Amino acid sequence: MNRNASRILAALFGVLAVTLPFFAGDYPLQVARNIMMYMALAITWDMLLRSGQISFGIAGLFGIGAYSAILSVIRAGMPAWFSILFAAIFSGVVAFVIGFLILRLRAMYFSIVTLALGEIFRIIIHNLHDFTGGPEGVVIQKGVIFGGNANSLYWLVLAGLAVALAASFWFEKSKIHFALTAIRNNEISAQSSGIDIFRWLLLAFVVTSAIQGLLGGIFVQSYGFATPDAVFSADFTLLPLAMALLGGVYSTTGPIFGAILLGLASEWLKLKIPYGHLVVYGIIIVIVILFMPQGLRQLVRRTSHSADGRSA
Amino acid sequence: MLKIQNLDCGYGRMKVIDAVNFEVGAESVGLFGPNGAGKSTLIAAVMGMVRPWKGSIELDGKRIEGAETHVIARMGVALVPQERELFPGMSVQDNLILGAAYIPHAKDHTSDQMEQVFSLFPILKERRTQYAGTMSGGQQRMLAIGRALMSKPRLLILDEPSLGLQPSIVAEVFEVLKALKSTVSILVTEQNVRESLRAIDRGYVLENGRIVLEDSAEGLKTNPHVIKSYLGL
Repeated sequence: MNRNASRILAALFGVLAVTLPFFAGDYPLQVARNIMMYMALAITWDMLLRSGQISFGIAGLFGIGAYSAILSVIRAGMPAWFSILFAAIFSGVVAFVIGFLILRLRAMYFSIVTLALGEIFRIIIHNLHDFTGGPEGVVIQKGVIFGGNANSLYWLVLAGLAVALAASFWFEKSKIHFALTAIRNNEISAQSSGIDIFRWLLLAFVVTSAIQGLLGGIFVQSYGFATPDAVFSADFTLLPLAMALLGGVYSTTGPIFGAILLGLASEWLKLKIPYGHLVVYGIIIVIVILFMPQGLRQLVRRTSHSADGRSA
Repeated sequence: MLKIQNLDCGYGRMKVIDAVNFEVGAESVGLFGPNGAGKSTLIAAVMGMVRPWKGSIELDGKRIEGAETHVIARMGVALVPQERELFPGMSVQDNLILGAAYIPHAKDHTSDQMEQVFSLFPILKERRTQYAGTMSGGQQRMLAIGRALMSKPRLLILDEPSLGLQPSIVAEVFEVLKALKSTVSILVTEQNVRESLRAIDRGYVLENGRIVLEDSAEGLKTNPHVIKSYLGL
């Protein structure tokens, strides 16, 4: 695919995404909202992955964001708008603090600790009954954002996605890209080239966590309630991960394609095979990872690379 | 330039470097010794990758022991590590750019430095858009040296640059080191003593973590111990 074609395609997608509420019904709009939410999470997961760090903590930071947003509205009377921003800041600060502790870890150890931290956050929320509402969760009684208007909520999620996309492009086009790729490729060479590994990892971790928190805030505002099981659901970790792997990692486009395909496939399967769609869904992921370890993006790259005549 | 005094270091409870005194001035210095002598550990200590137990490491009079690796790199010490020294998923050109991009005193001179590296290793210019990981071992070693030079180092450290390379490439690498001698201080560890003696001014022999010999290149060439153990005559 040449550059102009992909630009036009991206612009078309953009226009379609923004104008969707004007012609799509409630159901497609809801599906699109879901896909965009997971797409944004998949992008943030990939952004950290570019440094070689595999996080299983998406749901944890998403949940932190969700709870900080809803509790700031209910307990502190914060305006809904501001609570979403607060969710991002709060998750970012949490990531900054735990980043200091865990970003010395690598590979499996980092992954397991992020998984555990997510679970710890969930348990804390679960048990701080008086403040968080415990396992039953909390509901926003009045002052729901946009009065619950479905179109506005759709655009709100789209705005969240736009933030993730912008951050991802920033990561791709700036010096951060070099630093993270170098760290992923070879830490010893990266250090000896003057790269402060810890600082770049911390930056990536804080930025991605803040966006995950922002998305949690958007999620909770658009549904008006939060329970520990709903916002710390493993889905928020596993689906974005599967989408990024399916689409192809280390890029912005991979998670986008992965999210669209997997999101649509799961909706379609849900209708066709109400009992057992998750099995088929799982099989699709297994097949793709077995035969296209670099994801669907690999197909696109293969065709475009054979054209530029590299003498590899 | 580099001055190491009475240095002890190791891993866990095992001492690998034992009371080493060592110096590199405006010259090219070799560090020889068999496998397991502690050459790479000594380099790792200089680069801040292994924390010394005792003693001092000075760079131009500033103590650097215990400093972080990236800080030492920014002070003008460039390392060509023993293996897996590249960013395989990046192009040759990007590997070179990366060598300078995070070094404050080098990043504004990227294109000049790159021209210089290309003149030392013309093959890199030819292959500049190729992925580093797809090149031959010798080309990868040249790229690793090129990348280290991109940072405009004052001290260039090479850990066994001849390892795993065919003789003609080894000779080429040492020719380049010889040419670089006038512009940068060099510290090179080697097991291939014969080849490297042509490129260095002075050398140390490290055995079981201790410096057992220190002499000029000429002196080492005629030293009975060196001849017997390292030159195999």
